[in-house]
Amino acid sequence: MNLRKKAESSAVSAGEKATLLEGKFGQLSESSEREKKRLHNELAQLKSESKLSISRISADLERMECRAKIAEEESDLLKEQLEDLKKQLNECLLQKREAEKKLSSFTLQDVTSAGNNILVKHLQEELRNYESEVQEARKLKSSHENIELLKEKLLEEKGHRERAESQLSKSHELQLSLNNLENELSSWKLMMKDIPGVSCPQDIPVKFAALQKEVIDSTMKVGKANACLKQMEVSLDAAQLGKQNAEAEAALGKEKAEVSKSEIKRIELMLSMVTDERDKLRSVINKLKWPKNEEMGDEAAQKTVVQELELSFVKKESVIKELENNLCQQKELNNRQHNEIKLLNERLNNEARRIKSLEREGDQLRSEISLLESKLGQGEFSCANTKVLRMVNTLGVDNEAKRTIEALQTELQKTKERLQAVEELKSQPGDTGKLVDSYISEKILKLKEQIATLEKREERYKTVFADRISVFRRACCELFGYKIVMDEHQRPNGIPVTHFKLQSIYAQSDDEKLEFEYESGNTNILANDYTSQPEISRQIEIFIRKMNSIPAFTANLTVESFNKRTLS
Amino acid sequence: MVSRTVAKDIITLRGSAAIVSEFFGYAANSILYNRGVYPEESFVKVKKYGLPMLLTQDDGVKSFISNLNAQLSEWLEAGKLQRVVLVIMSKATGEVLERWNFSIETDNEVVEKGVSREKSDKEIMREIQAIMRQIASSITYLPCLDEPCVFDVLAYTDKDVAVPFTWIESDAKLIANPQMVKLHSFDTKIHKVDTLVSYKNDDEWEEQ
Repeated sequence: MNLRKKAESSAVSAGEKATLLEGKFGQLSESSEREKKRLHNELAQLKSESKLSISRISADLERMECRAKIAEEESDLLKEQLEDLKKQLNECLLQKREAEKKLSSFTLQDVTSAGNNILVKHLQEELRNYESEVQEARKLKSSHENIELLKEKLLEEKGHRERAESQLSKSHELQLSLNNLENELSSWKLMMKDIPGVSCPQDIPVKFAALQKEVIDSTMKVGKANACLKQMEVSLDAAQLGKQNAEAEAALGKEKAEVSKSEIKRIELMLSMVTDERDKLRSVINKLKWPKNEEMGDEAAQKTVVQELELSFVKKESVIKELENNLCQQKELNNRQHNEIKLLNERLNNEARRIKSLEREGDQLRSEISLLESKLGQGEFSCANTKVLRMVNTLGVDNEAKRTIEALQTELQKTKERLQAVEELKSQPGDTGKLVDSYISEKILKLKEQIATLEKREERYKTVFADRISVFRRACCELFGYKIVMDEHQRPNGIPVTHFKLQSIYAQSDDEKLEFEYESGNTNILANDYTSQPEISRQIEIFIRKMNSIPAFTANLTVESFNKRTLS
Repeated sequence: MVSRTVAKDIITLRGSAAIVSEFFGYAANSILYNRGVYPEESFVKVKKYGLPMLLTQDDGVKSFISNLNAQLSEWLEAGKLQRVVLVIMSKATGEVLERWNFSIETDNEVVEKGVSREKSDKEIMREIQAIMRQIASSITYLPCLDEPCVFDVLAYTDKDVAVPFTWIESDAKLIANPQMVKLHSFDTKIHKVDTLVSYKNDDEWEEQ
């Protein structure tokens, strides 16, 4: 009984918990659906925004590309102009030298003719023109350098732009993820408010674990209740069998009681008969005793008759006593059987009550089973064991693809028609097509000429620069006593570094070389076999490390090498 | 009276999975035809299960159902499929109007140990035939679908099933307060399939 009650209560509580959990689950699913819709809407908005930004960026890109192209073309033109000017400059310089030579020769000879003055004036004018051209060439050269600087800046800006675009996309993604996280946070906070017993996010997993445990416990209890139910059914069957046996025994006992009652009645009848006979016999005996005096002769015969009667009377009394004993035994038996029958009846009533309660439980369980079956039929499921999957419906996707294909095909046809119209225009007999072609070809020729002139100028400037730098190097070597070789390269981090190799003109071998590194305004000496010699390293220690003066070190080294040379 | 002993055929797991997935394909076609989801002229008659069955000729629907059947067969062989539901929804509103539920009970001993069972193919065919007749006769009690409808298929699988590339997790697309009609079931001794159709309550339908 206690087990049954416990099972009932646990089943009820499990049912209530299950309904609560189902309600919560429904709420959660609704909230998740709402969130999904909201996220979809936001996604669509962000997509449109991203498309707009992408279109803007692409328009900016195109503009920058056009500007870059234009700048490149301008630079090419300027290069050509530069080269032309360089050539002109060289020619002018040559002519200037020739004119100066002529002038000098003219001044020496002291020719004072008017023609010579005019010549001189002409030459002076030409000189001025050439000087102006040289200035223009210098301006072009500076503009060329500016163009190169601009190109480098353009490349840098392109790099910046690419980096900015990548960071933009990353920022978009980050924003999306941030928004998603915020939405999830807000939804979880809302859920936290709905869930009782949860005050902070750390409580949620604990609460879920507790709920899961409760569900598991309740399912276990339901299982146990089912097991108890089955046990009760088994006991019910056993009780029914017992009831049937008890009924059969009760019937047998009743029959026995009736049989014993009938026997008792019979015995009582016999007893009454026997007592009547006894009384009669006594009366007869008494009658026989009184007329004794009258009939003296028959005394002996009568005595024998009386003795016989007394014997039979004693026998009858013994029989009566036996019957009375039997009667008492039968009565005791009857009482015992009555008590057994009462007990069996009580047991019968209890079993009947138990059967009714079990039948009620069975009806309840059947109704619950039908409810669960209806829920299963509706499509509900347990998230712990089951998940619902859906195939991505390619029917819709295919339709969209077909529509896009059709739209692209119509656009293609339109472009084809336009192309045909343009070709027809070109092939038309008339001047329109020819004019267009001639204009384009003239423009191409002009641009080609500009390119050629700028290239020539660049080469002229290069040769002039090479001459100048070689003169400078020779002068440095003769003035300071070191042959300097310069080399530029870039570090892996992109910082340009200039490498100088110095060899003294008084060096006794080719291995005597000093190596310096120039980076962002700082000059550092590099170690090599020559500088690792004790004398040189000592000088480096003194002049460079302690006094921080490379010129002093190089000058000291020059003097020492000169002394060695002269002494040797 | 002479008693006939029915000859039993050996049913393997793969064979049973094929029978069930094929049944679902024909049942889906029958439902789409009988409920008017696609026009009649897009269906063609073929003979199957001893009955004239209708199959769609729409390429999209055909490929959808064939891909679906391949995946269902795989899950049935792994013993991971619990239910297949064909859902009919309103095209305009997306409201679920009918759910054709096919519940599947799998004999796990067959899946784990690879044993086979015995049952007559004719018996199985007879059971499937009964279900197909019931689907065809369902138009007598199911409400008319007057608006254009679309269909979808849901698979209830075990939680540990890996979601294939062309599948996604979904909600169960339930009907609130539905009417339910239980149809016959068929059993291959390895897979037992129970059929049930739930549809929108008539009273709610009339109110709308």
